[in-house]
Amino acid sequence: MGRKLLLEKADVEGIRYFDTYRREGGYRSVEKALKSMTPDEVTEEVKVSGLRGRGGAGFPAGMKWSFLAKPEGVPRHLVVNADESEPGTFKDRYLMEFIPHILIEGIIVSSYALGSNRSYIYIRGEYAWIVDILEQAIQEAKNNGFLGKNILGSGFDCEIFVQRGAGAYICGEETALLESLEGKRGNPRIKPPFPAVKGAWGRPTVVNNVETIASVVPIINDGGAEYAKIGVGRSTGTKLISACGNINKPGVYEIDMTISVEEFIYSDEWCGGISNGKRLKACIPGGSSVPILPANLLLKTAKGEQRIMNYESLSDGGFATGSMLGSGGFIVLDEDQCIVKHTYTLAKFYHHESCGQCSPCREGTIWLDKLLHKLEYGQGTMRDIDLLWDVQKNIEGNTICPLGDAAAWPVAAAIRHFRDEFEWHVTNAQEAQTRNYGLAHYADSIEVTA
Amino acid sequence: MSEENKLFKVTIDNITIEVPPGTSILHAARMIGGHVTPPAMCFYTPLKESGGKCRTCLVEVSKGSERDPRPMPKLVASCRTTVMDGMEVKNVTSQRVLDARKGVVEFLLINHPIDCPICDQAGECDLQDLSYGHGNEASRYEFKKRIFVKHDLGKYIQLHMTRCIMCYRCVFTADQVTNKRQHGVLFRGEVSEIATYIEKSLENDFIGNIIDVCPVGALTDKTFRFKNRVWFTKPEDAHRDCPTCCGKVTLWRRGNQVLRVTTRKDQWGEVQSFYGETGWICNECRFEKKDVNDWVIEGLSTIPRYSVKGANKYKALEVPHETVGEVIGRKPKLMMDIHTVSDVNNPSIDLSKIQGPATSDVFNKKQIEDKKEN
Repeated sequence: MGRKLLLEKADVEGIRYFDTYRREGGYRSVEKALKSMTPDEVTEEVKVSGLRGRGGAGFPAGMKWSFLAKPEGVPRHLVVNADESEPGTFKDRYLMEFIPHILIEGIIVSSYALGSNRSYIYIRGEYAWIVDILEQAIQEAKNNGFLGKNILGSGFDCEIFVQRGAGAYICGEETALLESLEGKRGNPRIKPPFPAVKGAWGRPTVVNNVETIASVVPIINDGGAEYAKIGVGRSTGTKLISACGNINKPGVYEIDMTISVEEFIYSDEWCGGISNGKRLKACIPGGSSVPILPANLLLKTAKGEQRIMNYESLSDGGFATGSMLGSGGFIVLDEDQCIVKHTYTLAKFYHHESCGQCSPCREGTIWLDKLLHKLEYGQGTMRDIDLLWDVQKNIEGNTICPLGDAAAWPVAAAIRHFRDEFEWHVTNAQEAQTRNYGLAHYADSIEVTA
Repeated sequence: MSEENKLFKVTIDNITIEVPPGTSILHAARMIGGHVTPPAMCFYTPLKESGGKCRTCLVEVSKGSERDPRPMPKLVASCRTTVMDGMEVKNVTSQRVLDARKGVVEFLLINHPIDCPICDQAGECDLQDLSYGHGNEASRYEFKKRIFVKHDLGKYIQLHMTRCIMCYRCVFTADQVTNKRQHGVLFRGEVSEIATYIEKSLENDFIGNIIDVCPVGALTDKTFRFKNRVWFTKPEDAHRDCPTCCGKVTLWRRGNQVLRVTTRKDQWGEVQSFYGETGWICNECRFEKKDVNDWVIEGLSTIPRYSVKGANKYKALEVPHETVGEVIGRKPKLMMDIHTVSDVNNPSIDLSKIQGPATSDVFNKKQIEDKKEN
């Protein structure tokens, strides 16, 4: 049983409300930070902890904070990215819905470290009811003196505002989020300048994921060095994984990043195995935009080592034989799932969500969508598979923001690992309409235990 | 040399040039000129914040700077990346860049109607130049292209969204040149379009400039539509005393008729600056003054533009296979050789040798010379 830091008190009744949260030891980190630490010491503590951004890219949070420009007389902002729209990722929703105060607490401490007097939570528009929960939590914190002017007599002022998005996936990209926050069209900005220099309203801004900010709370409570002891290597601390797909126990799990993927899928403590006693075919380990992995490469790396649920191990082998931990949206596919259809669904999503600003993404995502539609519905040719590969290659890395990459990677990985299934869709077009390709050799080398 | 005036050394395709700090890679490359210059479809120097969207100007930075020699992992948009001291950039010498650019051209063309034969922009179209220079012979896209309805943006401008490549130049122009922007980008992804929110005309003294900045034929001048092909018209620099704008324009004439008035553009197709101010022109100069007597003619435009019309690229790359002979069993009889009749396509004149666009004068002179020789 791994150690829980964020969801430790999730089961306590009434933890959503300030009184219970405070009784269970909440807001200790605010007291500690504001009364006994300087902002730089808080930043240093986060740096020592090795906390990596939980939104997907895994960039060290302390480093990001230290890049923040601090010109005289210019306000700085902390913006919390709660625009969690990645298919398969729902960890932030769980956190905000059940323990909103841990986020508020994290924001106060982080704002103190960054010198942000006005911090924002940019929340996905579809999370309408969570907005109410957060606003209530903010009000409660304000009533108890943890927000507003001169918090705990430290002279530090902080206000938190909740801003609802309008349903665009692209607004989860940090610069598009800032544009949207400013009230403009949610188009990603061209970098540089980075938000740390010129962010919201042209002011230095740090944009962090909900889980990253919430993780600041245990870091300050226990100290960064203590936090760094959990996990292995550069994957420190705990990570929320939102597991879904063909598993017995879908849900949000907090893991310390030492358990193996096999244990995570098959252990009763976590996912509880594949549902209906079927066999594992493939898995997307970190939200829909990371490369899909077939079962044999998922459980063991190409070198034959056991794959661990952490940043390094999952990305072992690069994209040729590895994937990414990403945002922790763990989607499991059993033997009855069709990879072509699955890839088509994802391509359709990215086509729908492309902002239309830069040409490779605007035109490329629709092309991917149409080609996969053709393959899925039995009109594909072998040439289309090669073309699909070429199109994704032309999108990847050539776009303004990572949405282009996110659209290209799943397609690339699907062709790389499941090309025979694509070819089967071409050669057996009629049959492909009525039955699925099945497991083939993807799981051959694996003994299904537990 | 003092610290502020220090020039940055930048090497583009093995050619080294010294540029002031803050220069973009694209501008440094333009200083060198020639094939080193990456094409730019969305970047427009006089417009702030333009660029970075079309991705045709992608280059590879093989060395970041003298201080930090690491190469940049991704290709960067040269129009929005400033040079660093000691930077090494690869444009045409990098296969990666050429491949990416080919990909981008293909993407730009998949939904473009390629209706050049009926498009007013043909001949001075950036996309045409780009696809001649960097594109494939054929598209691999075999689905239906997206289609938009034509919009009338007032008395003078027509919007042909189908041809648009979403460069955002007109949006920036309306934002920065006129005092109130009434059009913008609606929707997202491949259905995003330039439009007024509720269909209405654009009323502003300077709104005509959005026609000039458009790299394709999406925004067209209604006073010029279908009047003539650009390569038949003769560009001349002219000016008039205009109370609202600088009054320095290019007149596009055929005979004594002024067919079109545009801003004066430099060799990169961008509006020239006069005395530090961008030479935008007002609607009155552009649309109302179509009489030669309104203008003081300064002479032929001398800006060499590397363009489809200038480089004489209008020739078939492949001669189509003639099948008539196989069907009727004999060679078809030539009823009339258009080349002996037409002045314009007369093969005795090499259009690429002519300074500026070809006009009937050129052909008349040639014929007189030919007669003299005979």
